[in-house]
Amino acid sequence: MLRRFDVHRVTSIAEAVDARQRFGEDAAIYAGGTELLLAMKMGVARWPHLIDVKAIPALGRITATNDALRIGATATHWDIERNALVGGALPALARLEANVANVRVRAAGTLAGNLAFGEPHADPPSMLIALGARVVLEGKSGTRSVAVHEFITGMYQTALAGDEIIVAIDIPLPAKDVRVAYVKFQILERPSVGVAALGTVRDGRFVGAPTVVVGAVDEVARAVPTAQFAGADARDARTLDAIAEAARAAVEPTADLAGSVEFKRHIVGVFTQRACATLAAQAS
Amino acid sequence: MGGREIHLRVNGGERRVVIEDQTLLIELVRSLGLVGTKLSCDSQVCGACTVLLDGRPVSSCTTLAIEADDKPVVTIEGLADGAKLHPLQEAFIERFAFQCGYCTPGMIVSAKALLDAYPEPDVATVRHWMDGNICRCTGYQTIVEAVLDAAEQMRGAP
Amino acid sequence: MKRAHRVVGTPARRADGVAKVTGAARYAVDLSVPGMAYAAVVRSTRAHAKITGIDRTAAAASPGVIRVLIGDDLLAAGLTPYYGHVVLDHPVLAIERVRFHGEPVAVVVAETKREAAEAAELVDVSYEDLPAVIDADEALKPDAPVLHERRGERVGDEGMDEGEKGLVGNVCAIARVGWGNIDEALARAHLVVEGEYRYPMLYGYAMEPYNALAFFDQGDLVVFSTAQHVYMVRRDLARMFHLPLARVRVSAPYVGGGYGTKSYTKVEGMTAAAAFFTGRAVKLDLSVEEAMLTTRSASAHIRARSAFTKDGMLLARDFQIVMNNGAYTDNTPLVNSKTANRCFGPYRIPALRVIARSVFTNTVPSSSLRGFGAPQGNIAGELQMDEAAAKLGLDPVELRLRNLVGPGEEFMPGKRPLDADLKDDLRCLASALEWPGTRIGRSIGLGVSASDAGAYPTSTAAVRIHSDTSVTLFTGSTELGQGSRTVLAQIVAEELGVPLESVGVVNGDTGVVTYERTTGASRTTTITGRAVQEACRDARRRVRELAVQAFDLPTSEIEDTAGGIRARGRGFSYGEVIEKWFGAGGEVLGHGAVRRAEGFAKMPPFYEIGCTGLELSVDRETGQVHVTKLTTVGDVGFAINPALVHGQDAGAAMMGLGAALHEELIYEGGQLVNPNVVDYRVPRFSDIPDEMVHLLAERLDGSGPFGAKGAGEGAGNTVGSATASAIGRLLGIFPRELPATPERVWRLIREAERVRTRKTE
Repeated sequence: MLRRFDVHRVTSIAEAVDARQRFGEDAAIYAGGTELLLAMKMGVARWPHLIDVKAIPALGRITATNDALRIGATATHWDIERNALVGGALPALARLEANVANVRVRAAGTLAGNLAFGEPHADPPSMLIALGARVVLEGKSGTRSVAVHEFITGMYQTALAGDEIIVAIDIPLPAKDVRVAYVKFQILERPSVGVAALGTVRDGRFVGAPTVVVGAVDEVARAVPTAQFAGADARDARTLDAIAEAARAAVEPTADLAGSVEFKRHIVGVFTQRACATLAAQAS
Repeated sequence: MGGREIHLRVNGGERRVVIEDQTLLIELVRSLGLVGTKLSCDSQVCGACTVLLDGRPVSSCTTLAIEADDKPVVTIEGLADGAKLHPLQEAFIERFAFQCGYCTPGMIVSAKALLDAYPEPDVATVRHWMDGNICRCTGYQTIVEAVLDAAEQMRGAP
Repeated sequence: MKRAHRVVGTPARRADGVAKVTGAARYAVDLSVPGMAYAAVVRSTRAHAKITGIDRTAAAASPGVIRVLIGDDLLAAGLTPYYGHVVLDHPVLAIERVRFHGEPVAVVVAETKREAAEAAELVDVSYEDLPAVIDADEALKPDAPVLHERRGERVGDEGMDEGEKGLVGNVCAIARVGWGNIDEALARAHLVVEGEYRYPMLYGYAMEPYNALAFFDQGDLVVFSTAQHVYMVRRDLARMFHLPLARVRVSAPYVGGGYGTKSYTKVEGMTAAAAFFTGRAVKLDLSVEEAMLTTRSASAHIRARSAFTKDGMLLARDFQIVMNNGAYTDNTPLVNSKTANRCFGPYRIPALRVIARSVFTNTVPSSSLRGFGAPQGNIAGELQMDEAAAKLGLDPVELRLRNLVGPGEEFMPGKRPLDADLKDDLRCLASALEWPGTRIGRSIGLGVSASDAGAYPTSTAAVRIHSDTSVTLFTGSTELGQGSRTVLAQIVAEELGVPLESVGVVNGDTGVVTYERTTGASRTTTITGRAVQEACRDARRRVRELAVQAFDLPTSEIEDTAGGIRARGRGFSYGEVIEKWFGAGGEVLGHGAVRRAEGFAKMPPFYEIGCTGLELSVDRETGQVHVTKLTTVGDVGFAINPALVHGQDAGAAMMGLGAALHEELIYEGGQLVNPNVVDYRVPRFSDIPDEMVHLLAERLDGSGPFGAKGAGEGAGNTVGSATASAIGRLLGIFPRELPATPERVWRLIREAERVRTRKTE
């Protein structure tokens, strides 16, 4: 049972922006509602007005250019998992999407909604940050794009302005020889540790530095400093150990039912090694 | 605001109903006497409330009823063709893939969506898809077998 | 060697199959009556507090509200406001004090569910906090806050309650089992394994949460609910409203999961009280979260010692058990007693001492859960067998074989001798698992148990044979998913020689069917099954009597056949005899009753055997356990329906696995941290072992129909200890606390590393 609210179905971005401005904090943007409605049911949040953006045609599209994928704000995890463009250009993202929550959440929940909610125990942010993805926002003053790592500012907090809505997520496509890996540790309903790794490996060595982003364990996803690993031997256990050490140092895990700070930090190291080992293995 | 009228298309039937914006799909469905769909966890994780909305499995406990406006909804009551059971229902009986039966409607509806998407699933695909449905009675193995049996039956049927 | 039967012994399709797969099956939650009102519960926000005031004004004035009820209203109306299986200490609604966070304090009745819920938030309860105690060992300390200064009235039960002696402070129940000279045996032992073990507090998570629909029908109370034991609830309600049993009707349609969690009264009292005070039919549906604040199972902390000779022969076992039973007594004396009986195992033990105490704490009250003390006891008892084997350099299977009692042997003085061949079961299990296993990185754990099962053997049944030779079975047994309707129908079909499809079952309704003490304790097939057999035999007697009169023949010339009798050289169906006797229409009624006599004179009525093993591997980096094989041996004497036995074994084993690896209710600051299934992790499809094998051992050695014994709990009883032993053999250190979560296993791995490093230094 939900407390009473009104749903306002809008058919254009302009209408959505107007509604946002009109209702202020009394309204939330609603697409799949998988996070929103649950939060309302649990009593942790309350919005007397929901702005339903699913009828805005532009928001449902998944398009691609040579360099980037654009995922519309109302594209669901289910859509993204199955989309031919995504499958062709960024199969690692399709795989990640296929493993978000459960099939029913995937069927209705949107990637944009996932980012907008700012849930710390989430899969997508770490990979999107590793890829350099940007969130495209539109408000009264026009359009702007914000890097995902700047968009999610804290637990359940984003840089979304009071009159803005998410329009799309732009994901630059990595070059052909860049491998993308995502591994996660999950024992409860949400992931406890997620590690996204990107890198090019040639003749067993990293070309440049690998990108490693650790998510789901801290209040926000954390990029791991990896500059010192440029050109390192990607198959050497010592390299992987060192990257793992850097990852462990880069996060401040939140203790919860899935584990203590100590255990989670250890898991961060383990999964960082596994993600990076996957890069090397993919390349060969 | 007062009520909102929607065009409900459930299990092949059509009717107009007046609901409120915050009415949940499970509340609507059960209020119409379709009580096969069950409420358990009320937080999207157990799958007992699974219905098909426009062909996709959704948690009716966390889906607004207004989303069903002019979209086909399938509940467990819509699977059998009169007295003729759906192959999944036959398989669940044959394989003893239920005990208390409370998770069963959601389980079967979820499996139907699986077989619609993957007519030839392997064990891993079945387990992955169905992982969002909880059963506390059976230990799951007989459910996997029932789904695979039904898949085979549906492929083989003329 | 099994005799060939026609219907029993076959995997007959379940009678409730079509109803459940089509969504037509009705559960209590699906029921409604015209003009029904709805209730919502106001719950305590404190772990332990005096109630200094309840302001109902705003709630009572809220739209749609009919009445707001509190515990004092029941007192003022002269009702008995307490209920309980053994001790009347559980208030229907809190009186003067709350003793756990989540305890019902008030009930709001309104025209709609929404109005009730909204009004419930307006009830203003003021509290004066009292010190609270959450941990059982803490609650035993002399300075611990006392939950029950005055103990409730003892209504007693079945002689399993050990009585009031020694129940001081927060001790809810004490059980003592023992014989021989413990200290002498410990002194001369070659090896004494000593340790402390912990079994978690669990939630059964039956997927249909507790709910009830209650109304008064011309002064008679009618309640539809999720009750496993409809007659027990009837008793509690009759006492509450000072009504004769004959004027209280409790009915349970299909129950969406039981596992013991729906034993005894839960929300029926509250709902009936709401009906009483409003004059309306009232529906109360709990959410899963509320259900988790209603009942859970008792956790255990066990200090144990087992003494062995050099050859691994048991000399003595010593168990000090402390269980956390929460705020009220419920059936704790029974669980406590069974834990004491089930911790030391079916072994020859020259000297034994068990002291089990269950302790009140300011937590959700505990009650039955599958296993009923055996899983808790085994984490110490069975695991110490493995620990001993490791220390003695003996094979743990061989160690058990040396000590297990044989069929017909007494292992608890004065009780029924063992009615199973456990050694054969164990050998069968070991062989099926390919013990000792050769796969690197894999480890096998196994365990055996014999639970004194069946509860008290009081049961009745009735069969009506109709004029078309079809039969209706009346049984008080409830259908929780275990398949009682099917199994009992199979027995009827077999006994009366009629097709299974012609047997209908009406069950679980005290106003309609005959008395059944309980549905649980794995007793239905064995005990209710015998009552059903007796009812069929009685019906046949009556048919013969009718035939004597109808055909004017001496009894000696009437012969029983399948579906009827034989007389004058030809067969007559039951229906034909009935029609001939009555002239038009008619029916025959047969009644059967069993009690603690004859086949059930010796207690327990039977032993429920647990013989389960598994093979697992451990990811040493994360501590995650992966189960590659899970094998059960269902030693059930005779499987009336083998498919249903497999179903029980699979379900019980998976539940055991849940407790072994993931499940644990956690308290922090006086509150449950995870009262929902998002944070309380039950097994999922992704937890299915790679291979699950369910074997049957049928030696016709049970006291039930056709030599049957019970199933339903046994297969899960040793999963916890087997998991711990497998992990222990793999890592070199035995985990002594469940669940073996990834973090706990990871810490053990590090501990093992440290020990190894120290050894090499």
